[in-house]
Amino acid sequence: MTQRSIQMDEKIISRVDLLNICQDVIEKGNTLLTPGVADYSVVKDVSNLNLDASALPSKISYKSYVFPRTEPVLYYKRSKNDVQLIDVNIDSKKIVILGAKPCDANSLNIMKHLFNWDYSDEFFNMRAKNFIVIGLMCSHFDEYCFCTSVGSSPVSEKGSDIFLIPLDENNYAMKIITDKGKEFITPYSGYLKSGDENRSKRITENVKQPDVAFDSSEVYKWLGENFESPKWEGVGNLCLSCAQCAFVCPVCHCFDITDEDYSYTEGRRMKNWDGCQFGNFTLHASGHNPRDIQSKRYRQRVNHKFRYYVNKFGEILCTGCGRCSRGCPVSVDIKEIVSNCKNDQKELR
Amino acid sequence: MKELIKHARELLENGEVAAVIGYRQVSAKRTKPVIITDPEETSALVFNEYCLNNLAVYLTKARIKLLCKKNDKVLKLAITAKPCDVHSIVALIQENQIDRDTIHIISFNCHGVAKDFGFDFNGDNLASKCITCETHKPLYYDALFGEVKETPQASDTALARIKEIESMPHNERFEFFKSEFDKCIKCYACRAVCPLCYCQRCITDKTIPCWIETSSHQRGNFAWNVIRAFHLSGRCTGCGECDRACPADIPLSLINRKMSMEAKNLFSFVSGRSLETPTLVGSYNEKDNNELFM
Ligand code: SF4
Ligand code: SF4
Ligand code: SF4
Ligand code: SF4
Ligand code: SF4
Repeated sequence: MTQRSIQMDEKIISRVDLLNICQDVIEKGNTLLTPGVADYSVVKDVSNLNLDASALPSKISYKSYVFPRTEPVLYYKRSKNDVQLIDVNIDSKKIVILGAKPCDANSLNIMKHLFNWDYSDEFFNMRAKNFIVIGLMCSHFDEYCFCTSVGSSPVSEKGSDIFLIPLDENNYAMKIITDKGKEFITPYSGYLKSGDENRSKRITENVKQPDVAFDSSEVYKWLGENFESPKWEGVGNLCLSCAQCAFVCPVCHCFDITDEDYSYTEGRRMKNWDGCQFGNFTLHASGHNPRDIQSKRYRQRVNHKFRYYVNKFGEILCTGCGRCSRGCPVSVDIKEIVSNCKNDQKELR
Repeated sequence: MKELIKHARELLENGEVAAVIGYRQVSAKRTKPVIITDPEETSALVFNEYCLNNLAVYLTKARIKLLCKKNDKVLKLAITAKPCDVHSIVALIQENQIDRDTIHIISFNCHGVAKDFGFDFNGDNLASKCITCETHKPLYYDALFGEVKETPQASDTALARIKEIESMPHNERFEFFKSEFDKCIKCYACRAVCPLCYCQRCITDKTIPCWIETSSHQRGNFAWNVIRAFHLSGRCTGCGECDRACPADIPLSLINRKMSMEAKNLFSFVSGRSLETPTLVGSYNEKDNNELFM
């Protein structure tokens, strides 16, 4: 699964030829995804494809195409003395993402640690293997973006197999980052012209970037020392316990296993998204819940992202996309919370 | 704003209320809820066209009720509420979830709010509910602020959309809802923001037996969205919060509004408008339309 980065000359591709490639991807029966306002969606017609570097991140990330919001992991049949288990065929279709924001592009690399930790999740791995990420430089940021505070940036190539930089209205600089990207683009070499690294560099160097809002190592330290801090109460009072934040997040990965019977003898076992802000998250069969109140649940969200995941896998479980905050019905802003944790405010909220 | 701040401050300083739930500005076109217990903090309170949240959702939260317990006394809770948010408060009182005596309603003369944060406030971006609003002055309040201003003109596109959906043949309408509900990711943000979704344990959280499949597939999504529509029928006050919260942009308010139209046509009932009228689902009238019995 690990992708070796390769060195290759930078190329230039015209918008028209890029769309030609997209058309071919679709014609070969593969899935092409692009970001929209609410969600990433499957492209059927390339003619109205709008590749806009200045667009806001879609409200929902594309993780559902690798880690679906619901999927069967096995089927079962019961007879008198026996239970028969039937495997699920995992769809191995190639999925090409065109125009992934840098804050989305690295998401699978971050999540793969979890899905290969104590168990290798063949569903995730199979889809991730067939996933091709064509990233696009981002020239927009708003008050909720903070990619630069979590080790990324609007021009980061991390996670992309191929990375695009808009040069002008009709042309993109194309960087081929991984072997997978190279393998994908080789059949289309005819469309590529040789590029000029200095030209794209001038553009990426001048992209406006969000200011660094916090030092993640200080946040890590503060979290370790302030598990019982009364400051969590503020956000605990505000948060309404939905899973908007977790479900739109490109790297949140909690799931719940549940059985669905069709009849007395047949059924299937489902793997469904779960969210740590739900009141019944980690509710034990006994009725006990270690995170019984909202402030403890929100504390879990921040700790998981900025401390536990770092401890376990050496990475922050957040790409700084700001989706969770932008979409939060009560405007809980994770950047604000994390940036203010060390300040002498009475409450985080 | 000065009067609002002064009033809130006095309430807290005089010990009349334990907390004030209100709005604070976070950027030019965005506010967010704030729960204030310290009189000093009242200076952050605002009221304007970006006060979108329906704060009535907080009134039924155990943790907020807990804030009101001071020593042996139970203090009141002050809430800043748009006139339409007052409808939610009324509905909650009528459903015995809160006591009128324990709530101090600070309301405003309201000329509308933007459809979402970040949009300029004008006729094009007016929240759908404001287009048909009949209560720019609250029906119930304990304190009233704000000047009376004209609401921008806008056409009722939501109603046109409802008529359009009504006129679709069955299968086409089914396809429409199928494609909308397919987008649902079951984040339950619609439930979380709804002041009337106050059940301690939602039917979707009941797993023994499991009535509503938790899976976000077509059947599970249909079951969820339909059960929510039914549970809110004749109860929804039309605040539009579910619609605003939905990350998948499902037009939930079309469904809720249609159900409210039915309640009005069949029973002349509009939720949250009167402290004298019993709730629709909680009352029986011999003259009710019998055709609805199955
Ligand atoms: S932080 Fe916001 S989005 Fe997340 S659970 Fe709380 S209310 Fe929902
Ligand atoms: S936690 Fe929020 S900002 Fe971070 S990656 Fe998830 S959605 Fe984006
Ligand atoms: S519906 Fe009426 S009361 Fe509510 S925000 Fe709009 S104008 Fe104000
Ligand atoms: S169903 Fe939606 S519109 Fe109706 S009261 Fe609840 S949140 Fe408001
Ligand atoms: S807010 Fe939208 S996506 Fe979330 S559960 Fe409700 S309908 Fe589904």
